[in-house]
Amino acid sequence: MTENKTFHTDPDEVKDPNAIQPEIHLDDVQRVKVLSPTMLVLKRFLRNQLAILGLAILIFMFAFSFLGGLFSPYRQQQVFRKYELIPKEYAAAAINKDLRYIVQTGENFSGPSLAQFVLAKNKGEPVFSAGDRDYSYTEKGEDFYLISELKVLTDVIVLAGNGRFTPAAGVELTEDFQTAALEALKSSQTAFEYGDDEYFISRNGKMNTISVAHEIALATKLVFAAYEPEAQPLLNSLDFVEQAQLALINDADSFAVGGVLYRIVIDEDSAIIYRSQDDEDHPFASVSNIIVNPISPDIFLSVDFKRTLNEAIAEGKTTFTAVTQNGTEETFTINRVHETYTVYAQRTSQLIDMYAPPSNEHLLGTDGNGMDVLTRLMYGGRISLLVGFVVVFFEVILGVLIGGVAGFFGGIIDTILMRIVDLFNSIPFYPIVIILGSVMDTLKVNPYARIFILMTVLGLLGWTNIARVVRGQILSLREQDFMVATEATGIRISRRIFRHLVPNVMPLLIVQATLALGNIIIIEATLSFLGLGVKYPIASWGNIINAATNLHVMTSYWYVWIPAGILIVLTVLGFNFVGDGLRDAFDPKMKR
Amino acid sequence: MNDNNTMLEVKNLQKFFPIKSGFFGRVVGQVKAVDGVSFSIERGKTMGLVGESGCGKTTVGKTILRLNSKTGGEVYFNGKEIFGLGNAEMLKMRPHMQIIFQDPYSSLSPRLPVGEIIGEAVREHQIVPPNEFDDYVTRIMQACGLQEYHKDRYPHEFSGGQRQRICIARALALNPDFVVCDEPVSALDVSIQAQIINLLEDLQKEFNLAYLFISHDLSVVQHISDTVGVMYLGNLVEFANKDEIFSNPLHPYTKALFSAIPIPDPTVRRNRIILEGSIPSPANPPSGCKFHTRCTYAMERCKVEVPVQLDKGNGHMVACHLYDDNSGSEKQPETDEASFRAIGEQYDKANENKTESNPA
Repeated sequence: MTENKTFHTDPDEVKDPNAIQPEIHLDDVQRVKVLSPTMLVLKRFLRNQLAILGLAILIFMFAFSFLGGLFSPYRQQQVFRKYELIPKEYAAAAINKDLRYIVQTGENFSGPSLAQFVLAKNKGEPVFSAGDRDYSYTEKGEDFYLISELKVLTDVIVLAGNGRFTPAAGVELTEDFQTAALEALKSSQTAFEYGDDEYFISRNGKMNTISVAHEIALATKLVFAAYEPEAQPLLNSLDFVEQAQLALINDADSFAVGGVLYRIVIDEDSAIIYRSQDDEDHPFASVSNIIVNPISPDIFLSVDFKRTLNEAIAEGKTTFTAVTQNGTEETFTINRVHETYTVYAQRTSQLIDMYAPPSNEHLLGTDGNGMDVLTRLMYGGRISLLVGFVVVFFEVILGVLIGGVAGFFGGIIDTILMRIVDLFNSIPFYPIVIILGSVMDTLKVNPYARIFILMTVLGLLGWTNIARVVRGQILSLREQDFMVATEATGIRISRRIFRHLVPNVMPLLIVQATLALGNIIIIEATLSFLGLGVKYPIASWGNIINAATNLHVMTSYWYVWIPAGILIVLTVLGFNFVGDGLRDAFDPKMKR
Repeated sequence: MNDNNTMLEVKNLQKFFPIKSGFFGRVVGQVKAVDGVSFSIERGKTMGLVGESGCGKTTVGKTILRLNSKTGGEVYFNGKEIFGLGNAEMLKMRPHMQIIFQDPYSSLSPRLPVGEIIGEAVREHQIVPPNEFDDYVTRIMQACGLQEYHKDRYPHEFSGGQRQRICIARALALNPDFVVCDEPVSALDVSIQAQIINLLEDLQKEFNLAYLFISHDLSVVQHISDTVGVMYLGNLVEFANKDEIFSNPLHPYTKALFSAIPIPDPTVRRNRIILEGSIPSPANPPSGCKFHTRCTYAMERCKVEVPVQLDKGNGHMVACHLYDDNSGSEKQPETDEASFRAIGEQYDKANENKTESNPA
């Protein structure tokens, strides 16, 4: 009754003589403002400053979560990207230590033949065979070999200075050739020249075999690079490389291939080949012992670039400036690993804007997936609060139904239902939920379906507390005289439950539900933090904090996870303040 | 006994509460709260039911309204066995028999306004047509000393006396024939007690009600009752009309009880009969006459044989071997009847003065 005292002193009504009727008793004063129990509770609640603070927090959280998403310019799963200059691999260079083979068009010289050549070269044997073919090679200069395939022309048996020729099928031998061959045989030569061709002799006892050499490949350690892309095919042709190489070996300053004159200018480690055309020299190719290749086929490396690179490598520089194929001058960096040099160019590239610090665009920065943290927090709040409400709603429905039935009917029904409650209470909560989470992980359950399963399980495991409270309250209410009075006055059972019992259970239920809400939000956050609750890409406050499991993120990017933590703490505090406030308001006797 | 004037007849009513123990709730014993009680109440009359705390008065009151189940016996209300009625019939019977509780605080639902508390059952049973409903509730409230504007208020805004008036209004709104008043004034202070008692008496005259007035306050019982029953440990040990029992109590327990009535006159010497020991447990009542453990006149026979109700004339029933003519014992109680009569008269006077000095 003390709550009403403030209303007793309304001077106007007290002094109005007509308002007071003679038969009114002292405590019946009509001026006392009528307050229903609900209004009284509301008044007491609003007078509780902590509860108001909690309410304010909750209102903010709801506005933030449910309205914030509408005002946020970004979507929940919008990934932000940025353009940045990053060193990108542009070309690779290596000092050539291996022989490079240029094979005659239409011929095959590879695999086993190459291996046999290397073996023969190391042994110093001029002839080698691979498969059913025979080859020979001649060393024309340092690290420059011409490889020929031998074609058997004829077998010769020399008897007392005379040779008996047995030509291979389809081969006709001229007299002059026979004479030249016989002379070579007599002087025990292994090779002789006749006309333009070179012939090889191999002996097997009295049997000599004369073969003709047919150039199929050359091996060199020099690297030819074209000035123009059009020059490239020519640089891969055996003829050109052979002529150029021979000219280099012979210190000649020009050579001709296909009727075109090429001039050579030697410059320290490398040489430049100019193509003379219309009495003008055009740079055609460069020769060096460094292989330079672009990283991707759409990049053409100019000879100038290669020459600059060669110089830079020779001088041991790490950066150099060169003109690219687009005609712009760029600075390149060289990274050396053993004999291999990688050239990097600064290129703008699209990147996911990870862990961007707070800015006007992203007030709380971006997370590890390049998503806006503030927007994620808004949508995460939706999920967290929604999960809390749905689960508590589910718990209240189950708890009131089961607790109410147990309390109202009592006896054997009560015993059975309470044993079911005990059963549910003895289920270890976290193991069940964690196992369920991993099962859903294994089954790759859709993230949206996960939320519903999570809510159902949390509700199923959590209703027992409310059922117990409701049952206890109803058991005590049932024995109260006013419930006996409803029976005595013959009021229907349904009306007794809904008009008399339920309103008296409501206060307790509201308090329990409010406190349970805070609890559910913590459980949801815990599970999501452990990666077992709400899953990426759906945001929830718990899985936003999950970023802090990475030590680097935890120490360097506070703005990714601290705000989510603050929101959880504030929300749970808010629910607890409001719950405590409601409890105090419903029960005025409980004063601190 | 089934003449028109008898409204309620209780025959050998028994109500045992099982004592359960262990995991499966095995019944290990029984609290014999009411163990064979018989009485009857006439239309428009009041029966007082007195006894110590825990003797089963309230259980009798609740059981005859079928708010408890019974263990044995019969309860006839207007000639109908109420335990034989179906649920629907019982619901129809409810408005005719009402109860007023001892504690006016717990007997009103805190979340309903008073008008709803009083009128709810009226609407439920359609006592009056819907268009007369408001007027009817107002009339009942005014008859019980409440104002019309109290309708919209909640119980917490009322004092104990007013709450008890609300309870009475709730009971009377159903237009009952019979009201169990379960210690309706014991939670109230004396001035309010008088108001409520007078209100009950006025309403009895107005609506021709019958009351079962349960109390441990003998002076109040003496004031309001037409007949009085005395209970001890689940048994009705003595039953007579008021004047007879107060002037000539027969049972030793009744004598002891009545000797404890305070007399507001310091000059009068009192012969208090002090009972030794406390009331035995109803779960394990003494054999024979249940009172023999505390009775000054206890005989060997009392320990063995259960006394039966004896009619000592004028409907004065007593269950005691002292008055059993076949007992062979002519031993009379030592307290002389004259002194009791004197006490009773003085008490009457004092009581009348008290009630008059506190008008309702």
